[in-house]
Amino acid sequence: MTAVHEPITGRYVYIPYAGYNYRVYYEETGHGIPLVCLHTAGTDAREWRHQLTDPDITENFRVIAFDMPWHGKSIPPNGFEKQEYRLTAKFYSEFVMTFCKALELDLPVIMGSSMGGNICLHLAVNFEESVRALIAIEACDYSPGWYINWLAHPHVHGGEACATSVFGLMAPQSPADYRWETWWYYSQGGPGIFKGDLYFYSVDHDFRDRCGEISGNVPIYLMTGVYDFACTPEMTEQTGQKIRGSETIIMDGIGHFPMSENPATFKRYLMPVLTKITEKTPAGVG
Amino acid sequence: MTRFNSQWMNAWQDTVNADPTLKIIGRYFTADFLVGFDDQEYVVSVRNGVIQRVTDSLSIETPWSFALRAPTESWEKFTQKLPPPMFNDLWAMAHPLHGRLRMDGDVKVLWQNVRALTWMLERMREVADQVVVEERATRV
Repeated sequence: MTAVHEPITGRYVYIPYAGYNYRVYYEETGHGIPLVCLHTAGTDAREWRHQLTDPDITENFRVIAFDMPWHGKSIPPNGFEKQEYRLTAKFYSEFVMTFCKALELDLPVIMGSSMGGNICLHLAVNFEESVRALIAIEACDYSPGWYINWLAHPHVHGGEACATSVFGLMAPQSPADYRWETWWYYSQGGPGIFKGDLYFYSVDHDFRDRCGEISGNVPIYLMTGVYDFACTPEMTEQTGQKIRGSETIIMDGIGHFPMSENPATFKRYLMPVLTKITEKTPAGVG
Repeated sequence: MTRFNSQWMNAWQDTVNADPTLKIIGRYFTADFLVGFDDQEYVVSVRNGVIQRVTDSLSIETPWSFALRAPTESWEKFTQKLPPPMFNDLWAMAHPLHGRLRMDGDVKVLWQNVRALTWMLERMREVADQVVVEERATRV
């Protein structure tokens, strides 16, 4: 009997940033335009397993999904035990681009969801010369209300509370098995990491007065599911109206975790976006 | 029968207590909490994941730890077989962006039991239809 393997390759790479050499885990498949996938708050790159194994995507894209430090298989830096983890826009955006540079990616597409979507707005302002396009999923200019203490409290089971707090962000139409798989990912975050990421998501990310700084030189696709109660379609639409060069796509029957809660529905909305990006890319590039 | 009256609450209690998953995830869920549908309020007494009692005979001496109060309209949407966006989840309705359900009291107890509580509330979507519910005796 032949074992069935997925085409994903997983590797560890050292990313030097601000004087520390971070050991980072990433997975990749495919060939062509680099497509770097950013996971949501408090979890890791397993969320992207369906897109990593979809030949319709990987025939034109080198799909790369990495775990941010403190997440998944990317360990926190030495001394983490003496600090409160709080993700900032500065660390997040610079680390993503340092990762891309270390892997020598030529004008990557950055695709992120939730906090990974919100960071795309920062990338559009500060790194527009280094990216080909931005796919900001479940993103808006301001997403308050999630930086709450119960998600990191010694009297509360962090895994169960964090995972259950996001369960309702998924659409009831999404397959139960995939919703519970997403719940499982969330149940496995380190203590305080989800809350620390939400510091960026709900506090440090406030683009309400900054959308005008985006030049419009880089295509930005804002994609939001109708069941997302953290970043509602209206919040994304209002943000899209303020960003030059952006296109807003509202996705029916899906919620805050399109890539992991319902990859089939997400694919219907994602493929036209990827096609637009490939059509803008000269043959042989990538 | 109107939804959320005493017969309906008893039917929900039966549905919850017949659920095998709550035997596992609710093993340590012991609390009294208030559920309010507009002005109609009940206290639900849970012991080790089992709803032992639902009462609408409330006084200042009826203890409860946390309260979930919402307009009937919110609960009607929440309990639909396919609930609409923003009403499909306890935290979705209670989130400060939306405020369609109010959490009060010792919410630490709520967060300590949020997995089992969420599962328990979702069973409201499985309460039998009106005719079956009306055949049951009122126990509230």
